[in-house]
Amino acid sequence: MDKKKQHMGMKAKTRLSNGIIYTALTIISIIWLFPFFCLVCESFRCESTYQVEYIIPQKWGFDNYINLFTKTDFPIWFKNTFIIALFVSVLQTIIVLCMSYTLSRLRFKSRKPLMNLMLILGMFPGFLSLILLYKLLSSWGMTNANSIPGLILVYVASSGMGYYVSKGYFDTIPRSLDEAARVDGCTRAQVLTKVILPLAKPIVIYTILTAFMGPWGDFMLANYVAHATSAGMNVAVGLQNMIGTSSSMAANYTMFCAGGVIVAIPITILFMALQKYYVEGVTGGAVKG
Amino acid sequence: MKKLLILLLSLTMVFGLVGCNKENNDSGNNNNSANPLAGTYNIKMWVSEVAGVKELFQKHIQEFCDANPGVVINATIEGVTEANAATLVLNDVETAPDMYCFAQDQLARLVQADALLVAGTAAAEEVKKVHDATSVSCATFGDKVYAYPITGDNGYFMFYDKSVVKAEHLNSLEDIIADCEAANKQISFELENAWYTAAFFIGTGCKNIWTANPDGTWADVDDTYNSAEGLVAMKGLEKITKSKAYVNSSKGDDATGSAVIVSGTWATDTIKKIWGDNYGAAALPSFTVDGKTYHLGSFSGIKMIGIKPSNDNVRNAVLQQLALYLSSEKCSKDRFDQFSWGPSVKAVQESDAVKNDVALTAFYAQSAYAIPQGQINDGWWGIAGGLGASAKTAKSEADLKKALEDYQAAVEGLVGLEGYVFVGAWNGWNNSDKTFKLSKNGDVYTIELDVPQSDYMGGRIVSITTWENDKGCAQVVNGKDLINEPDPANNPDNNIIFKAAGKYAVTYNETSGEISIEKK
Amino acid sequence: MTEYNNKNISIFSDLNDLDYLRLSKLQAIGYDVVHFFKKIPTFFVNLFKAAIAIIKGFFVKIKDECVDIVTTFTNGDWKTKVSYLVMGFGSIARGQILRGLLFLVFEIVFIVYMAVAGFYWLGKYSTLGTLKSGSVYDPILDTYVRVEGDNSFKILLYGTLTILFIIAFIYTWRLNVKQNRIAESILKSGKKLKSGKEDLQSMMDDEFHKTLLALPVFGIFTFTVFPIIFMILVAFTNYDAAHDGYSNLFTWVGLSNFNSLFSINTGTDNLSFAFGEILSWTLMWAVLATFTNYFLGMLVAIMINKKGIKFKKMWRGILVLTSAVPQFISLLYVSKMFAVNGVLNGILVKWGIIHDLSEYLRLWESPTTARIMVVLINVWIGIPYLMLIATGILMNIPTDLYESASVDGANTWQQYTKITLPYMLFVTGPYLLTSFIGNINNFNVIFLLSGGGPTNPKLLTSAGAAGDTDLLITWLFKIVNGAGSKYYLASVIGIMIFVVVASLSLIVYNVMPSTRNEEDYS
Repeated sequence: MDKKKQHMGMKAKTRLSNGIIYTALTIISIIWLFPFFCLVCESFRCESTYQVEYIIPQKWGFDNYINLFTKTDFPIWFKNTFIIALFVSVLQTIIVLCMSYTLSRLRFKSRKPLMNLMLILGMFPGFLSLILLYKLLSSWGMTNANSIPGLILVYVASSGMGYYVSKGYFDTIPRSLDEAARVDGCTRAQVLTKVILPLAKPIVIYTILTAFMGPWGDFMLANYVAHATSAGMNVAVGLQNMIGTSSSMAANYTMFCAGGVIVAIPITILFMALQKYYVEGVTGGAVKG
Repeated sequence: MKKLLILLLSLTMVFGLVGCNKENNDSGNNNNSANPLAGTYNIKMWVSEVAGVKELFQKHIQEFCDANPGVVINATIEGVTEANAATLVLNDVETAPDMYCFAQDQLARLVQADALLVAGTAAAEEVKKVHDATSVSCATFGDKVYAYPITGDNGYFMFYDKSVVKAEHLNSLEDIIADCEAANKQISFELENAWYTAAFFIGTGCKNIWTANPDGTWADVDDTYNSAEGLVAMKGLEKITKSKAYVNSSKGDDATGSAVIVSGTWATDTIKKIWGDNYGAAALPSFTVDGKTYHLGSFSGIKMIGIKPSNDNVRNAVLQQLALYLSSEKCSKDRFDQFSWGPSVKAVQESDAVKNDVALTAFYAQSAYAIPQGQINDGWWGIAGGLGASAKTAKSEADLKKALEDYQAAVEGLVGLEGYVFVGAWNGWNNSDKTFKLSKNGDVYTIELDVPQSDYMGGRIVSITTWENDKGCAQVVNGKDLINEPDPANNPDNNIIFKAAGKYAVTYNETSGEISIEKK
Repeated sequence: MTEYNNKNISIFSDLNDLDYLRLSKLQAIGYDVVHFFKKIPTFFVNLFKAAIAIIKGFFVKIKDECVDIVTTFTNGDWKTKVSYLVMGFGSIARGQILRGLLFLVFEIVFIVYMAVAGFYWLGKYSTLGTLKSGSVYDPILDTYVRVEGDNSFKILLYGTLTILFIIAFIYTWRLNVKQNRIAESILKSGKKLKSGKEDLQSMMDDEFHKTLLALPVFGIFTFTVFPIIFMILVAFTNYDAAHDGYSNLFTWVGLSNFNSLFSINTGTDNLSFAFGEILSWTLMWAVLATFTNYFLGMLVAIMINKKGIKFKKMWRGILVLTSAVPQFISLLYVSKMFAVNGVLNGILVKWGIIHDLSEYLRLWESPTTARIMVVLINVWIGIPYLMLIATGILMNIPTDLYESASVDGANTWQQYTKITLPYMLFVTGPYLLTSFIGNINNFNVIFLLSGGGPTNPKLLTSAGAAGDTDLLITWLFKIVNGAGSKYYLASVIGIMIFVVVASLSLIVYNVMPSTRNEEDYS
């Protein structure tokens, strides 16, 4: 009898705590989604182009989207960013996987010093390199309208530094698998391609996904490299430029929101489709990296 | 093996760099004998980012080519806001566009960096003839003309909401504040930005005049902000910044919440759209402190187009002609017609269309109280902008005074050795007495002493001949005291502080009373 | 019982493991804290010793190398001797043509480069140029013409590249000598040398790491290491907008830039004061940002992962989705929402919560609220990622731990403090450190949200203004993009950021009680 009562009490308690959690999660979800809800609303606002203090538009329509594609260089910026993201997601993945696989599975003399070096390099504020990188790219003719190859080059070249997460993932794959394969006569290259890579699918997809997302948000370097040339801008720089001054901000604000929504769409779709791998990548890699 | 590969790759990089190092000039082939300027020129140009400006400039360039047979200009035009253009140019002067529009506050920086081609004698005369005096002074640095005015309306005045601010209150800041507070509407006045903060100081008659050396460095400043008038201005600033209606902003879209916006013609369209029939514009109001009334002043300035110097004389000459054309009456009128940009060309200013424009009328009304912006040290903007923030947080008059004192020290710090700071004093007199003046001629810095020789230091300074930092006289380094007596023990308080790095030889001339400081 | 156990134990003395285990929980924490700080002096002594050992080791190594170079020459055959002048000769003569050719080509390229460009740049390196560009007047065309002079920036850039190239050459030459010695000894012992084909094969097997790392390491050296070296050099020059190298030359100024940052100045241009203020807020921000994200992220993860909570995927999805929108959009937008004329005040007015102008929330205008806002919005940005990480770890905690704990009657809170938290902290220690470093350099959040504002008149320097929420990194950005573009000062501050970050990391890594061994999780 006593026991049963306690059990009932437990159940009620569980129900109560679950109720609290559901409420909390609902509130959190609203807080998290609210700004995006506002952003979408603003992008459909037709009655004015400047900032207002209300959320729901008085007149709905696609004006901002139409203007964005017909009156600005947004299609060029979008195309630029898409090309950059495509190349970077392939090349950066290769580089990061080479780096992380080597540092995780292979043992060689300069391994520790190399890892320490990269740890130290990561402590310098990267922003300062921009001045020189800009000048280097400029002397190679990779700025202004030609900024796309330049940006790809810089993103990919420095991507080796970001090996931590995927190294963490590789670390979780038992080394006995490698040893077994070596005993069977595989070379190290074969171990990588035949044994490890198939097991590392989540981290490969995670790396591709993050590499693809990176260029969409980069403002600092892209801004330097485009050097005010519209044809060489990515979406971040282009959209930022649209609202760069107070007068252009008043004229373009809702268009900026529309641009934001359009940029978010491909990434969101990718994200939704590959969420499972992203979660596995972060949980498997970041923690142990 | 890997190491070898790295080395080889780095090698190709080094060679790539060297290869690209050679400049390739794309200047025209001058095969047309009739016109010495004939040829094909590929140029890059930055103009305002406002929609339609690019197209208009492209059209004007075409007109210029049509008027000059043999000259073909292929222009790539980008929209870059005039406020950012100078910074972008200075990031990399070498690859900067051949011509670019910028606002006049950037002129000094650009001159200093040799990023502007000096106008030839005839071209300079033409500029002086066509444009009004303010515009010409804005385009001039030292005694040379460096740029070609495009607009003459780079100044601010007041936009107001007719339904909130009563017409009879327009001339009084206090009434305007009261109107807005009563209507629960805000007042947008960007008083933490020196360009706007200065309105109060210009209004009370404070001076801030900079003298430049021919090479673009700063020689001297005549600044009277730290004075009784300056304190009045601070009290005026306090009035508005402490109002619950005050917003530190000058954006056009503030019009949704504000009934008064101090801004310029660039905000006209937005404000008009938001206020509709209630849209109004006027000169800035007056404010009253201790029973006396002061009309708010302002800066008037221009936007102009400049040319990047190249080592090709024909190209420079062509671009100079093009710039003259772009700043001519015809183009100026087109820009007014299309974008309502206030002209700097005297002839266009006289036209009826300009006189009927509400915003420009307000601008010209305010210009009676405005001073031409002239050339100002870049460092000043940050320092003076702080006055607005200080007025807002001040708790007593002493705080206001303190803010002005700090301001003065900082401004004086801007004049000096190559733009570095010269603070400090000889024994018996200090820098607030202004008993010395520092000037520079070539590499020799001269301090002129304004006091009779007998008044300072009991004549001890006479004993100094040559004074080098590496000869036992402490170091000439940042913030370190420099003792002007070979044996510091004898003379602990005689010090001059140099905040510039490097070695200096300091010489005192007994007959002329000059101390010269030579950078080694 | 507890009292008895502890009567001879002080948390200030060094304890062995057994005694440590006898401490109560509180005492154990006290012990850890005390020993953390106790270890710091020893740590610095060790650091100093290690530095001396490294320097000593370096010179010993150089000496050994020199001795080896000499003995290889005296003991070597004629092929080896020729190799001292003609790199790769020995390898070619002994049949390793591929290796030899690589050496030879490298030497030729080096000599050609030095003759064509290297010496030119090196010659100007010590002054960074002496001939200033100028202009002359052309009376016929009524125009001025630019006369090119030296370009300090290029001299510094190519000069530095040349020096690196020379170092690379010396290293390669040394490699070439070593190759000869090894080849000789292999041949002497009667074995065969590797052919070019075997060389290539080993690149896919025993030397596989070289193949894999070649490209990434090359990229890192060119686009990360070299710019950092260059940046450090700039800190010793007077490179700024007034001395841009192209129009006005810049030059070496020694340590005076560092002096100006650290001297107590009498004027208002008090860089050291501004630096101190901004640094302390930066550290405060880094701590706040890291730990709010960490604990709240963990909390959300625990809530979502609790047994019996449905739609786990949906909750997670909603949070993660927000990181799909680029930060420059979401942060800019959120910053506008909280502005005086923004949506927040609009809603409050509409709901009748505020009526008067004086009640408007001016969140970005006071230092305290602006600081609170950036921390809060950073939580909004950061929680999804933290939530994922925490989820991963929570799934890894063996469930039987919790089961036995609840059998023992531990409530949820006790389970959290006794099991979840220690486990999390143990596993995520290194992650916390990296995220702390990341927050010190968190440019985006501050710049897009508050732009460093509100402006603080006290932080005004000749290098430009700074605000109350400015981090060192955003201040640095303002200096570079401000009126004077003082690149040299930015470089000095960049180096200082490095020093701060590096010393914090060093201390934490070496003094933290449980520094995790990398191999533990293999």
